[in-house]
Amino acid sequence: MRIETCYFCSSRIYPGHGIQFVRNDCKIFKFCRSKCHAAFKKKKNPRKVKWTKVYRKTVGKELTVDPSFEFEKRRNIPVKYNRELWSKSVEAMKKVETIRQRRQNLHIMQRLHKGRELEEERDIKEVKRDLSLIRSPAAGLKEKKKQEEAAEEQEQMYVDEESNELEAEEMEAN
Amino acid sequence: MPYKRKKYHRGDTHLKKGWRTKRRTKDLDEIDEDLKGNAEKLLNQKVDFDKPGAAQHYCMHCARYFINEIALHSHFTTKVHKRRLKALELEPYSIEESERAASKGNYIAPQKRKIETVTRETFNEKDAAPKAKMMKIDE
Repeated sequence: MRIETCYFCSSRIYPGHGIQFVRNDCKIFKFCRSKCHAAFKKKKNPRKVKWTKVYRKTVGKELTVDPSFEFEKRRNIPVKYNRELWSKSVEAMKKVETIRQRRQNLHIMQRLHKGRELEEERDIKEVKRDLSLIRSPAAGLKEKKKQEEAAEEQEQMYVDEESNELEAEEMEAN
Repeated sequence: MPYKRKKYHRGDTHLKKGWRTKRRTKDLDEIDEDLKGNAEKLLNQKVDFDKPGAAQHYCMHCARYFINEIALHSHFTTKVHKRRLKALELEPYSIEESERAASKGNYIAPQKRKIETVTRETFNEKDAAPKAKMMKIDE
């Protein structure tokens, strides 16, 4: 028994499922379901169809390079049955699978964090650009003007007083 | 109110005809293999009166026979041919790639290459050039 991979979407094909097409150069194309087979017949490119595994890998949505991918592979080397080896490899498969899951999830989380950062940056930029909508540039101008006027008046008063004093001094001196 | 369409496949016979197995032409990965290894064999085919132009004017990239040299060269200037060259630039999708995508081994992204039209003349020139040089050295 062998679990094959679908040519189009790279999913698993269990025995008794799917359909296969043998091209006239003896290459065997296996499909998990009629959806994939129909897409192949329509000459769709799996790299451009968003629901396939290849698309997700080429676009960088999923982890592509990792040593944990090196375990499951077509090796074409016959192995003699050995109960100990069998039980050990089953254990190893479980362990490898958990590690792989964790790494893949980490990759996705890192990818999403990047998006969050970009979003924040974009928000800050937008706020800076449209600050006039939050706080009018004319806000507080009137008060400022009033204050300035008041300050000027006071200064004038002060100047007047000083000049008066000066005059008085002059008068005294005379 | 939205309703489900009843007839999805009305009048698509012409499409279905195009997808039939008997109308299959060479796939991109087959052509890619041809370009890598079979160029000499395909460009210098034996006279075969069943093929158009007795199989003497073949376009490797489009996997098509033409009746004469003029037809072949005017084909090289067409959009169909140029589009095909563009499609061949990226390494074509293969069964191995589908397995790599299923995380059986690391996934390597396909590379872009430079593809130029290969005709019998250009191919033979490339082949002949080193031979001529060798001759000179020998003399």
